[in-house]
Amino acid sequence: MQYSEETLRTLADCFKQTLAPDPEPRKLAELFLKQSSEQPGYGIAILRLLSELSVDDQVRQSAAVNFKNHIKYRWPVSDPEGSTLASIQDSEKEQIKALIVGLMLNTPPKIQSQLSEALAIISNHDFPAKWPLLLPELVANLRSSTDLHVINGILSTANSIFKKFRYQYKSNELFTDLKYCLDAFAAPLLEVFQKTGQLIASTQDNTVMLKTLFERQRLCCRIFYSLNFQELPEFFENHMAEWMGEFHKYLTYNNPSLSEAEADKESVVDQLKAAICENINLYMEKNEEEFQGYLSQFAQDVWGLLMTVSLSPSHDRLATTAIKFLTTVSKSVHHVLFADGATLQQICERIVIPNVKLRDEDEELFEMNHVEYIRRDMEGSDLDTRRRMACELVKGLSTHYREQVTGMFSAYIQEMLREYAVNPAQNWKGKDCAVYLVVSLAPRQAGGGSVGSDLVNIEQFFTTQIVPELQSADVNSLPLLKADALKFMTTFRSQVPKAVALQLLIRFLVAESNVVHSYAASCIEKMLAMKDGKQPRYSGAELDPYLEQLLTNLFAALKLPESQENAYVMKCIMRVVSMADLRQFTSLCLAELAKILGEVCKNPTNPSFNHYLFEAVAALVRKACGRDSEQVATFETLLFPVVQIVLEQDVTEFAPYVFQILAQLIESRRPPLPSVYIGMFPPLLTPTLWQRSANVPALVRLLQAYLQNAPQEFNQASQLNSVLGVFEKLVASRSTDHQGFYILNTVIESLSYHTFAQYVPQIWGILFTRLQRERTVKFIKSLIIFMSLFAVKHGHALLTDSINAVQPNLVFMILEQIWVPNLTYITGDTETKLCAVAATKLLTESPALLAEGAGPLWGRLLNSVMTLLVRPEEERVEQETDIPDLDEVVGYTTTYAQLYNAGKKEEDPVEEVKDAKEYLAVSLAKVSTQYPGKFGALIQQSLDPANQAGLMQIFRAKSSGLMGLHSDWFNSSHLLWVSNFVLHLNKVELAHQNRVDSSEIDFLTPPNSATVVDYPASTH
Amino acid sequence: MEGNFGAPPQHRNHLKSPVGNQAGHRRRQQAVQIGKERREAVVRAKRLRRGDAVPNGDQSEAPDSHMDEEATARAAEASSRALEENTLKAVKALREYVGPGIILGKDMALKKIEALRNVRSLLSCNAMPPLNVAVEAGVVPLLVQCLAFGSPEEQILEAAWCLTNIASGEQDLTKAVLPALPYLISHLGDKSAATVAEQCAWAIGNVAGEGEEMRDILLAQGAMRPLARLMSSPYPSLARTASWAMSNLIKGPSPRAASDLMKIEGMADTLVGLMMKGDEELMVELAWVMVYLTSMADAHSGILLSVGLLPILINKLGTSDQTALLTPFLRCIGNIVAGDNSKTDAVLNAGGDISGGIIGALTRCLDMGHRTMQKEAAWAVSNIAAGSMLHKRMVFQGGAIPSLLHLLATAAFDVRKEAAYALGNVCVAPKAKAKEVDPIVEHLTVLVDRGCIPGFTALVKSPDMEAARLGLQFLELVMRGLPGGQGPKVVEKEDGIAAMETLQFHENDELRLMANTLIDKYFGEDYGLEEEYGSEVVDMIRGSDESSEYPPWRRGVVNG
Repeated sequence: MQYSEETLRTLADCFKQTLAPDPEPRKLAELFLKQSSEQPGYGIAILRLLSELSVDDQVRQSAAVNFKNHIKYRWPVSDPEGSTLASIQDSEKEQIKALIVGLMLNTPPKIQSQLSEALAIISNHDFPAKWPLLLPELVANLRSSTDLHVINGILSTANSIFKKFRYQYKSNELFTDLKYCLDAFAAPLLEVFQKTGQLIASTQDNTVMLKTLFERQRLCCRIFYSLNFQELPEFFENHMAEWMGEFHKYLTYNNPSLSEAEADKESVVDQLKAAICENINLYMEKNEEEFQGYLSQFAQDVWGLLMTVSLSPSHDRLATTAIKFLTTVSKSVHHVLFADGATLQQICERIVIPNVKLRDEDEELFEMNHVEYIRRDMEGSDLDTRRRMACELVKGLSTHYREQVTGMFSAYIQEMLREYAVNPAQNWKGKDCAVYLVVSLAPRQAGGGSVGSDLVNIEQFFTTQIVPELQSADVNSLPLLKADALKFMTTFRSQVPKAVALQLLIRFLVAESNVVHSYAASCIEKMLAMKDGKQPRYSGAELDPYLEQLLTNLFAALKLPESQENAYVMKCIMRVVSMADLRQFTSLCLAELAKILGEVCKNPTNPSFNHYLFEAVAALVRKACGRDSEQVATFETLLFPVVQIVLEQDVTEFAPYVFQILAQLIESRRPPLPSVYIGMFPPLLTPTLWQRSANVPALVRLLQAYLQNAPQEFNQASQLNSVLGVFEKLVASRSTDHQGFYILNTVIESLSYHTFAQYVPQIWGILFTRLQRERTVKFIKSLIIFMSLFAVKHGHALLTDSINAVQPNLVFMILEQIWVPNLTYITGDTETKLCAVAATKLLTESPALLAEGAGPLWGRLLNSVMTLLVRPEEERVEQETDIPDLDEVVGYTTTYAQLYNAGKKEEDPVEEVKDAKEYLAVSLAKVSTQYPGKFGALIQQSLDPANQAGLMQIFRAKSSGLMGLHSDWFNSSHLLWVSNFVLHLNKVELAHQNRVDSSEIDFLTPPNSATVVDYPASTH
Repeated sequence: MEGNFGAPPQHRNHLKSPVGNQAGHRRRQQAVQIGKERREAVVRAKRLRRGDAVPNGDQSEAPDSHMDEEATARAAEASSRALEENTLKAVKALREYVGPGIILGKDMALKKIEALRNVRSLLSCNAMPPLNVAVEAGVVPLLVQCLAFGSPEEQILEAAWCLTNIASGEQDLTKAVLPALPYLISHLGDKSAATVAEQCAWAIGNVAGEGEEMRDILLAQGAMRPLARLMSSPYPSLARTASWAMSNLIKGPSPRAASDLMKIEGMADTLVGLMMKGDEELMVELAWVMVYLTSMADAHSGILLSVGLLPILINKLGTSDQTALLTPFLRCIGNIVAGDNSKTDAVLNAGGDISGGIIGALTRCLDMGHRTMQKEAAWAVSNIAAGSMLHKRMVFQGGAIPSLLHLLATAAFDVRKEAAYALGNVCVAPKAKAKEVDPIVEHLTVLVDRGCIPGFTALVKSPDMEAARLGLQFLELVMRGLPGGQGPKVVEKEDGIAAMETLQFHENDELRLMANTLIDKYFGEDYGLEEEYGSEVVDMIRGSDESSEYPPWRRGVVNG
């Protein structure tokens, strides 16, 4: 792109147009910019534009955003998101790097922040190795500039490029970078921090300037944090006194003129104080010895801070970071600072309790934004709230002063409850606080819920405080306390007597408060999921008495305002449906769920609600249709309209679910499949459906259901051709090839050979082409499994002949190069068994392998089979070596969500074989009688010693198991043992075999041979 | 990480998630140093040679108690200004006698030395000598000329002394000394008096202490061999200084210098022989040489062991109370046991002679209440505990466990981390080829019974990522390995879930993933699914996670 004035003007116009309200010119401009960005020099042109002061600020701002995105997507050599955008050329990159710092520092704040972000992105890739000039340039400007914004701009940039030191592991590379940054930046940072300190001291009244200066100090502190994060650098240790002196100054700084008017806006001073608390906390955690000289001063500072900090949300961050510091101290060796009883009491009464008490903001949240309230209150995303931090402080103090702390809090709790009892309406917040403390100070537990608390007697607390709350006549009175009670019950659910639990809970499902009915649903759901040992605590039958009320209330809850898509309620429905014996309620549930489905598929918004909804449907199908296949028709009637909407209106979010449900329905049917399904089949092969990766697993599953349940359809029609088309497409890509094999495997398992015989050459063609083109471990394993399945289902002869038809003797090549070397990597019980059985068949039945000259191959195949059978999976299989294929993951796709209620067990394709080892032994014995003298030497030559020993053990185990032979069997000559073994086998298992002369058999080496290891003399 | 300097702890990987062998990687990783080098005061990387009696008065003396702060500051400023002025004058005076074309008579030669001595005494006054001022005034070229061959001994000594102190300053000052190096090195030779050689070695030691770049220059100019020879000097002070300078010269990160030293014939014997002489001060300096040798290559350790290093190390470890000596000795042992198992065997065998064995000696250091000792000792124990099953058993039964547990509960952060590594390693079986490490149930059970879990959950909550990872790995081990499925319950009781939750949103991908996976696996939604749906269905549901190496080929297959 030329940098002509004209180009710049055009670009400026375009950016102006992108802000236009009218969509037409806007789209045109966007398109033009998109095309321009393909050309080399675009980035430089934008930078030029940004430096044109004559250009309107808004236009430059939008250009700056565009530039940042341009950098984001085109700076990396290979885009992490797999886009195919061309990278910026190296020469242009160098130009950009040369320009950007100067430009960034001299533009207005809004443009500056975009450029600073762009700079941070570039530095992620290039700094420091490929951008040696950056840091010197920043430092030089930092030292020379007197412009407030320039200095803040530099620091903000430095802050973003140093952040990586906070979340990467130590490594030589990281430390080299860190050292480089420290050498260049540590000293200037301290200089600027001190200099700014002096400026602040001499600037009394200019609040605008002061704010900028405080922001600068905050940035310095954040950089301090990054540079000190990995470990204490020498420079900072040498200058600790200077830093700490400044920190102390700011922690005790007050200036009312800098406070903010708005209640939830943090003042610059508080922001700085919070950043300082983070820093001293870091030192306290990691460098406590070097820091200890400053500790008592800071403890005092922070203490003082917490005494004055208000409960306003604007002080939240400061309060939590300050409490965090005290918590760290309380757990450290310096905990004695708090040892004094009066100090402990002060901490508890003046810091903990006020911060745990419910604030107006919490109440407001409870009413106005139940989702967020629940997230914080129940789901652990309260890590940085005052309540949570205050509880952490209690836990910290308890590390060394458990008794005192527990004693104090027990007393506080009793006192708060007493006050509540005196005047519930006025003092209910005290009870809230009490329950909160009991729940939060119990160790956080999962599964069965918490088991106890030091603070109160749980059982007694439950009876005296919780049950009355839940028995109150009005489910809507004091909803916060109801929510607390429900949370208590959820937390200590394993202690709650089974008899009362459901009874208490069910009526709260229809409480008006969203938090309350969500908690009730969640509590019921968790109670039902609970186990005593391996037994579910509640059996299906135990639900019977409550079932009607439970279901009525659950569905009623979904009609309450703002709870139409309440995921807690839906999850509870899912749980009830999959556990209870629904009987007459089945149709009610189905009708309700179908109605909801019909509603939500118009506009799917809440993914987890929708997921549980489909799970619930799948559970219904599983339970009802499994028992009574007549029901299927009812289900179809109710569900098909939804299926239709989803398919016709292309509701992408739901398609994978619908395919799974359809598959489930097909599986529940008795053949023949009704025509409606058959009619639905051709559209399922529409390529657009298969292009969405989230659809593929579900569609494959559905296709398999068709193949298994309506094989006759494929026997006649040309459908099979299309199915194989899908297979071909899937198998061509390394991310979906296994899915292709799922289909292929089902074809050869479910259809008769003559149905697909004509396609076999084509199938091999596809597979071998792919094999030549791209050999991944996953593909090879899938291929071996497929060939094994082919061999056991249709015979080794068809397998070898059809492969050889592609090219003479190809099967040997495949065996040599693919099958034998990779057989040992097969994993999974069913897969291992299948492959072992198939290989056994080849070894013992295939004339080609038994032929003269195939001996070495035979030996190696046996060796692989033995490894497969004898060695544990984790020893055989190395870690996945395939490199993930980035090209194929394009952009954002919805992920496939498996419905586990719609899942089915896999079946064993070689059910007739009980034990693959035994099968191998028996088959080998059998074939050895046909080829006397052939295998002994082969085995000795080809098998690893461990595998020889393994083979021996299999024989021994089988023989004793099968025939219960006498113990001295083992002590007699080995030859005799083998002959006996074979003889017996022949008699018992293979009665039709010829009689064998034992002298002909030299099957295995005698036990005194060195190659056979570990031949224990165990006897029974 | 100064405590682990140069260690190749592939051993540490036992507790790591399977990310491949990082042995060599970690060795170099620790070569880059961020923190202060925590050597004892006597063994500082750079040392100033102080003057005897300083004419300018002593500012570091406590100020007159009647003076107020401001007056003190004023006085200090005035005196430092005076000092600067004097220095400028002194350099100027020296210039009178040094320079091209100046030929001096005998009297003048004496005055020259006088002038030089004056500069030296200003540059070695106690507090903050005005090194900068002197260098800016151009003193270095003058000093270089004073080093010229054939100069009087006293003149060379005084000049080298000045250069020593200049080199002890910040980087710029050290670099200013560069032009003098060839002379300094040549004065290390046989013909120099011991005092001269020592002063030159001292200056060189300071230069080497600056960093790798300076070390490379010194090596290229041939400082290694003369310095090595001086280590065996009969003059104790000279031997000490040379050994100290040598330790600076070979300390890496590049292992080349250390290898060069070992290539000098008979060096291993010489070093060990010197150590045996028993002069404790010399021993301290030599021990640091040993630290760098053993950290640079396993092969060096092997040679040093073969000539009898171990008995000396272990004997002192079992008896000495000198932290200056114990620090490098502990680090040596730590380096040696970080090598292959045969070295650890040798250490354990050699320790058989003293009561309590080597583990006892290390435990003694763990109990000394001295942070550096504790950290070094715990590090050594952690590397022994990362060895064979026998090694683990010896650590476990050798009495170190109570001390380690105590440290884990109470010590400073970096010590706690080392103790945690040691305890963790005691509990995992030597890594076979399998992907996961197996717990040693007996050890694990005892440690858990003795209440080690809070120590590990504290690490999980710490801001240090390695510590957090270590804590997580240990919790994982407990949950997986404690018999009777007790693990998750114990972790739960000790508030382990809350600790893991603190990592659920961590910016580090691995930590976040590990924490979430563990919570899901042991306490999550899937908890109990197995009973409900059967293991195959559960596998199917979970099958989508990245860790599953290959999707089960029949997933989704139906059997009606």
